[in-house]
Amino acid sequence: MNVGVLWARLKGLMRRRDFDEELQKEIAAHLELATAENLRRGMPPEEARRLAAVRFGSVTSAKEGAWDERGWPGLASCLQDARYAVRGMRTNPGFTLVMVATLALGIGLCSVLFSVLNGFVLRPVPGVWDAGRLVTLAAPVPYPYFETYRNQKGLSAGMAAFIGPVPFGIAVNARADGKTERVFGHLVSPEYFSTLGVKPLLGRFFDPAQESPGAGATVVVSERFWRTRLHADPQVAGRALRVNGRQATIVGVGPKDFLGIFPSTPAEVFLPVTADPAIAPELADDILHRTTQPAFRVLVRLRPDMTLAATEARLDAHTRELDRQTAKRGPEQKGRQVRLLLAGQASPLSIPERSLVVTFYTLLVGLVLSLTCSNLAGLILARGSARSREIAIRLSIGASRFRVIRQLLTESLILAACGGVAGFAAAYGLLDLIARVRGDSTLLQSEIAFTPDLRVALFAFLISALAGAGFGLLPALAATRADLATALKASMGTRRSRYRRFGLRNLFVVYQVAAAMMLILMMGVWSSGLRNAANLDPGFDPAPLQFFSLDPARDGLTPNQSAGVLTGLAQRLARLPGVESVALADQPPLNLTAPNSAVSVPSVPGGSRESVHAVALLSIGPGYFATLGAPVVRGAEFAERDLGLDAASGDILPAVINQTAAKDLFGGADPLGRRIRQEEEGVQRTFQVTGVVRYDRQSLAVNRPVATICLPLTRYDLRRSSRSGTIVLLRARTHLDGATIRRELASIDPNLTMFKPQTMREFLAGANRVIQSGIAFTSGVGLFGLLLACVGLAGVTAQAVERRRKEIGIRMALGARPPQVLRLVMREGAVMISAGAAFGFVGAYGISRVLAAASAQMAEIIGWSTGNRALTLGIPLLLVSLAAIACYLPARRSVSLDPLVALREE
Amino acid sequence: MNPKLDLLQGTLDLLVLRTLVSMGSLHGYGIARRIEQLSGDEVLLNQGTIYAALVRLQNRGWIAAEWGASENNRRAKYYSITRSGRKRLAVETSYWQRLSAVIGRVLAPAEGGPK
Repeated sequence: MNVGVLWARLKGLMRRRDFDEELQKEIAAHLELATAENLRRGMPPEEARRLAAVRFGSVTSAKEGAWDERGWPGLASCLQDARYAVRGMRTNPGFTLVMVATLALGIGLCSVLFSVLNGFVLRPVPGVWDAGRLVTLAAPVPYPYFETYRNQKGLSAGMAAFIGPVPFGIAVNARADGKTERVFGHLVSPEYFSTLGVKPLLGRFFDPAQESPGAGATVVVSERFWRTRLHADPQVAGRALRVNGRQATIVGVGPKDFLGIFPSTPAEVFLPVTADPAIAPELADDILHRTTQPAFRVLVRLRPDMTLAATEARLDAHTRELDRQTAKRGPEQKGRQVRLLLAGQASPLSIPERSLVVTFYTLLVGLVLSLTCSNLAGLILARGSARSREIAIRLSIGASRFRVIRQLLTESLILAACGGVAGFAAAYGLLDLIARVRGDSTLLQSEIAFTPDLRVALFAFLISALAGAGFGLLPALAATRADLATALKASMGTRRSRYRRFGLRNLFVVYQVAAAMMLILMMGVWSSGLRNAANLDPGFDPAPLQFFSLDPARDGLTPNQSAGVLTGLAQRLARLPGVESVALADQPPLNLTAPNSAVSVPSVPGGSRESVHAVALLSIGPGYFATLGAPVVRGAEFAERDLGLDAASGDILPAVINQTAAKDLFGGADPLGRRIRQEEEGVQRTFQVTGVVRYDRQSLAVNRPVATICLPLTRYDLRRSSRSGTIVLLRARTHLDGATIRRELASIDPNLTMFKPQTMREFLAGANRVIQSGIAFTSGVGLFGLLLACVGLAGVTAQAVERRRKEIGIRMALGARPPQVLRLVMREGAVMISAGAAFGFVGAYGISRVLAAASAQMAEIIGWSTGNRALTLGIPLLLVSLAAIACYLPARRSVSLDPLVALREE
Repeated sequence: MNPKLDLLQGTLDLLVLRTLVSMGSLHGYGIARRIEQLSGDEVLLNQGTIYAALVRLQNRGWIAAEWGASENNRRAKYYSITRSGRKRLAVETSYWQRLSAVIGRVLAPAEGGPK
């Protein structure tokens, strides 16, 4: 279409008045020319004009015909529909407002749900090429395993190994006295970047020829790091950084938005796996050549012609072969040794996990959307009766049914568009707010982005269109089916005075109650699971406690120096004014992890049969429980002498267990002196119980006290660097400010950098905030369902009363008493409510069965909640009684009806 | 007497284009008269219907319009065919010729048939 044509068509869209004026001139000229010619032929003027008009035909139909052809013919009549719809909306602002607000709520809620889903599983890893083909091995493997996989021809389209996320102490200022900052990064094999398909923004990535062992240390930084810490210096390649206290040369900058393969724990720096262990302690012990150290995550880009399952099968076969060669696992293991997870989204997921999450959210979105639509459809139907005469008139003067339906649909689509825009804006605002609130929670290191992107906008647009069609179509069909003669003849009062039990409108109400029931029950289960977790009873008084983290290895200290500094630290800090006691641990109190270690104990003392238990393991220094304020009920906690033990040289480690562990592992028997065996990565360790503590902490991931085994944080442990560093817990009479602690640390070693200092109260508040926002969200969704169902019911009942005014009037005139009339009206509502509630309850039960079967954690939450009477009986009762009230309020109007007025009308 | 022929769908456009090729620039009345004359007054044409066709053809870029002075010194809209209109005419003409040839062949009285 060229410019001229486009212009002609756009001109065609102009106002009808302008179009008509121009055409009128043209027609006038036409008639005059024709008259003139007739006159030339010798006709009398009167006859000449008449014949010209006859030959022209109807001027009106000529105009109409031309009007229909202008512009984009279809579009123009759509515009006409739209104009008509907007006019209708303006004359009825209350109705419009209710519709748009309901839609905005529904679409906004769906957008929020979809954004969460989008953040978790739909949005591809930013900066990576074709993320959908990336998978990762579920468990880490030794480096030689990876080399074997990589050397197989035709197994993959690219493969890389990495360790991460790994913390680094980074000083931008390369001088030795610069302040270090703790950032996370990956230790990567040279193929890492090519497998992900990323290209450097500046400089180069790693190259086996240049990153050979012994060459100078090199580092690649992320674009974000380069922008925020290096002032986007274009000459950055070749510049030096201090990484874990050593010099390293920046060789390249990653592309925009790229933060490694797992952006939920962003990687800001990348070091080659060939780096010196002095700069990356994770690479110590010749780890690249050890077949017994499964430390590397493997990233695989699937071949275009191979499925995930086929790749998994081949990797599995190679792994079995390798296991046999290294004689690592002794007897042949059953089942798959290798599991592949999809790695293309925020966090790795297996295919079933992914579909579970997607199904769950699809279900929620479907419920919310259909609830909204059925509510609006009910409203439109109710209004449709009022409009039925308008529609009947339009049909009777020749509008086609299609045309009227299109016009009604245009109205609902415009409403949906308004609601969609408002809903998306609300969702955007809400998620932005949540992102900001979450930003200062120190608890979650994850950076999953939930802020709506283009994909969410598209989704909102689609569901708005779907909603518009959904709530508009059925009422439009119903309205235009109306029998013309009766609709025109009859007044509202007598039409359809018969009570239709299974009318479309009633079906909508039953569905609404059912959907609301399902939604509220699901949300109730979810939120009570969270509420239980929120009931964090720390088991100690948080007021006098504060803690911070240290990681001397990242500050450039050697393992021996690190151990030395940490060992002496507790005593030194305890001498500060106001400090009562100090203790070390390898993780913060009330960690977020579920029990993830397996230990076994003999079923009877000295017996050969063993039972296996899942427990949480925790390493703590001497005086930890005294500092925390958790009472030791049996035996004693660790002392200084336990620091010298070394499990690797065969020492039996003492263990302090909590009361839950004592009950789980040993039943009622005395646990003191009992042995616990643990086998991990082929290494066996034995512990002997020396104490029992009342520290039945709860973690956020599970809903019950966690069996916990505490081991001494030995000098051997302190030599090594852990991911979260070493936690230093202080009990002080008054709060110790950061400056005091920093001064003290500097006097021990100037390079020592404290990170994440916080009080215990702040820490618990952070944990609570996360849970509270989850509860607020789930309650919000449930409340939304409740509200919509009530509004729908009230609307339909009010309309039923309106419809039956005359009937009620006659009944009352004949002597029906108010309670009888009320019962008559309420009966209809009661039937619908009970049917909806029953369907909804059964539906929710079915959904919970399906979800419980699909996920163990879901099953735990559901199992816990279904035992909760308040939930399983209270919620349905609440819904039913609210629905009854919603029904009663408009029904009451029937009683106050004056029979005389009702009968005289129309 | 036979009634006048009703125009088939789309044929009016073809006739308008053909007229404009032979006559150059012409106003709506002129086009209508020309079609009536060429068809020997056999075609039933409400002259008013020509305006829908003119708007349609303009929309497609096959004809262009311009206000000018008519023979009796009134302002009238003059239409002329564009280059893409000529191309279109060629296509449509050959289509019509093929179609009418085929229809003619099919409807030709068979030997021994009626008439």
